[in-house]
This record gives sequence, structure tokens and C-alpha cells, in this order.
Amino acid sequence: MSDIKIKSKNLNVYYGNKQALFDVNLDLNEKEVTALIGPSGCGKSTFIRCINRMNDVIDICKVTGNIEIDGIEINSKELDVVSLRERVGMVFQKPNPFPKSIYDNISYGPKIHGKGESKNELDEIVENSLRKAALWEEVKDRLNEPGTGLSGGQQQRLCIARAISVNPEVILMDEPCSALDPIATAKIEELIDELKKTYTIVIVTHSMAQAVRVSQKTGFFHLGKLIEVGKTEKIFKNPDNKMTQDYITGRFG
Amino acid sequence: MSNEHTVKSYEEELQHLTDSVIKMGSLTETQLVDSMDAIIKVDKDSIDKIIKSDEEINKFRSKIDTQIMTLLVKRAPMAIDLRETISSLKISQDLERIGDLSKSNAKKVKPLPLDLPEELLSNLKRLGDLVIKQLNDVIDSYVNKNFDKAKDVWEKDEQVDDLTYIAMESVIEFLSKDKKNLDFSTHLIFATKNLERAGDHITNIAESICYLIKGEYLKGNRPKGKVIQE
Repeated sequence: MSDIKIKSKNLNVYYGNKQALFDVNLDLNEKEVTALIGPSGCGKSTFIRCINRMNDVIDICKVTGNIEIDGIEINSKELDVVSLRERVGMVFQKPNPFPKSIYDNISYGPKIHGKGESKNELDEIVENSLRKAALWEEVKDRLNEPGTGLSGGQQQRLCIARAISVNPEVILMDEPCSALDPIATAKIEELIDELKKTYTIVIVTHSMAQAVRVSQKTGFFHLGKLIEVGKTEKIFKNPDNKMTQDYITGRFG
Repeated sequence: MSNEHTVKSYEEELQHLTDSVIKMGSLTETQLVDSMDAIIKVDKDSIDKIIKSDEEINKFRSKIDTQIMTLLVKRAPMAIDLRETISSLKISQDLERIGDLSKSNAKKVKPLPLDLPEELLSNLKRLGDLVIKQLNDVIDSYVNKNFDKAKDVWEKDEQVDDLTYIAMESVIEFLSKDKKNLDFSTHLIFATKNLERAGDHITNIAESICYLIKGEYLKGNRPKGKVIQE
């Protein structure tokens, strides 16, 4: 049995008058991949944005309930959001490298978090991060070229390298492969398999096949509620809830 | 009962698969009935027809294989659809094997004498009737997705074992009366064993149907009756 890394308890999220999440109770295991599935607008992205408090930047957003990482409440006012985001990295749907060199894309995070004080240390972080993101061999001879000049799949791996450069504990991925071709997708999935040895990963995906391939646990959201969560194999072979079954078999009205 | 798929053609493809399995089941049942009739009536004229009908069953098996491959490639079925697809594959394999056993039994009619003892025939008939009923019930449980009925078939295989034992004993008794009976008695022993094996395939089908419906395999060991020593 894996340890619980992240625990949400009675989590509610409101955007103004509209409630986006309803009493979500969900445990995410350490060094495991949890996939969140559900139709658009079901709250899965809202949920992962709570884990690194990305919702703080939206004025009308209100969060109630708890999210704990390693038993520590992250919604408390005293918590330093910058250090939280150092621990919880995020990769988005569309690759979004900074308009800087490949090297600077990776070294930027460590620099602002006060890591890698010398050039040598930074070089090491850049190389390690790119290696972990399975990109090093492809870019090692052109680290000074712009990150935006890479292919879509390479840019996404660059963003993963950027996320892991500050040595986080959790990586959130919001549809990381939806803009990629099948080969680039396979490389990211292979990378996720590798990364889960070190990090706790939460992935939002619209691809059921991807959820089956990459995750050990799957949660199904609908209209802001967590309908069912369980071992991925169980969810896709024999879910308990009829709504889950209707969604994953393509019977949703 | 689940809602219909958003994609109509997916719904149709799954329905066609189910229809194929039902038709194959019905053909297999007819063939089993015919081969039993041929043995009991020592009807040598029907042998060729029964052998021929096996080709039809085999064609269904190939057709179902193709349907399943297409479904897997096109739809990547999940949950109940995945179980439906995989169970259909397994059920069609078992039906094909039952067809082979019926064909094998039909071939055994050729060397039989026309004056087989009444008791031997009646014991064989009781076994044959039960296996036919089991097949009929299991196909019915597939059509109606009836878990209890499928489980009932699974449990009743114990009776098939018992009747196999009784039928086998009467064949051996017949054999022991006169060594001249050795040749065709051997055929009857194999025919009896074939019926018992058909019963085992029927329980496999029942297990597949239970898995299809509930997503879990039946727990515990199937009840066993008296077993002939191999």
C-alpha cells in the first residue's frame, strides 16, 4: 500500500456564484500516477489547480475545505505559495517554453528559488533535468538556441524538464499530450513511467486509453463531483458506478 | 441496462457480435441434438449432414474472430463493452469445440450395430439430453444476460459428471459381456467422454457469461460429480 502524498477533504471551489467543485475527497498516493478523467467542465482541471494554488490568481475564486500535502494544509494564509509551487510543478496542455534559450528555460526556476549558485551547479541542474525529461541527447549541442524552436513534443519535454529542475515532489499535468502527435505522446508517456519512480504525478486527460496506460489510480469527475475513484484497472474493466461506465464506454448523453 | 452508445455504429457492431454468438450457439445446439439422435437411433444416413454442419459453425467462429478484431481496433472497448467482446471470443471458442465433439460423435455412429441394448441407449440418452439442456440454458442465459441461470448451469455440471459415470458403466458392462463388442464399445466410450467434455465447455461458457455480467470470475471450485478415472 502506497503512502498518501496529497489528501483533499471536502474540497469546494467557487468561481463567483458558480460552484465548480463539490465536497471532493480524494487521496493521491506517493510516487504513483493518478489520472483524472471526465467531460469538459467537470472540475478535473480545477481540482489539480488547487494542488499548487493556481486558483489564487483568479480574484473571484473561493476555495473551502482542505488539501494536505504530507499532512500539511496548503490553503493556510501563512503558507508561502512560491515554495509550494517549488514542491508542486505543473505542465500545461500547450507547451509554453519561455522565449529564452533551452538552457535559460531550465536554469530560470533554480535561479529564482536560489538553487545552483555557481555556473557549474546550474550546468549540472540543466543537464540532469534534460536527461530526466529524456531530452538531453536531442538538445545537448544547441542549449543556447531558443526553446520555442523545438518541435511540439520536444517543447513539452522541455516544459517537463523545467518543472523538475527545481526538484519538486509532485508534478501536475493538465492534458500534456493533447497537442502532440502519437510518437511525441508515446515519449511523454514513457517519461511519465520513468518519472513516477521519483515524483507523485497527477494527470488530467481526455484520452481514456492514455489514462489506462499511464496511471495506477483513476478518478472520474462529473459536474464538479468526484463520482468514482479506484485502481485504474478496476475502473476500466468493471467500474462500480453506472455514470463512470457510461462515460468510459461512450454512452454519455 | 446501459444507455446506448453515442456512436450508433459502435452500438450496431456490438449487437452484430452478440447476434453472431447467439446464431453460432443455436447451430451448435442443433448439431449436438442431431448427433445425439444419430447415436440413439443408430442413424447412419445423418452422419454426413452433421459433419457438414460443423463447417458452418467453424465459419461463424472465423466471422466472430474478425468482428472482435475490428471492434478492438476501431473502438478500444472499455468496461462492459470490453467484457462483452472478450467473453464473446471465449464463448465462440468453446462453442466451436462443442461442435467438434458433436462431429466426432456423429462419426462414431458408423461402426455401431443396429441392435444396441435398450438400457445402454437410455443411459446415453439421459446424458445427451442433459448436455443439450445445459447448452440450451447457457445460450439462454447469454441472450438474457441472466447471471443466476448461467451460475445454475455451472453448478449442474455435477449432474453431467454423474450421468457420464452411469453411461460409462453400462457401456463397460456391455463390453464385458462379449469380447465381440470391443470394437464399437470403444467408440461408445469415446462418445460418452465427448459428451462429458462438451459439458465442461458449457461450464466454461457459463463462467464467461458470469464474468461478462458481473466483471468477476465465479469463486470457488465447480461442484464435481463422480468422475471416471482417466
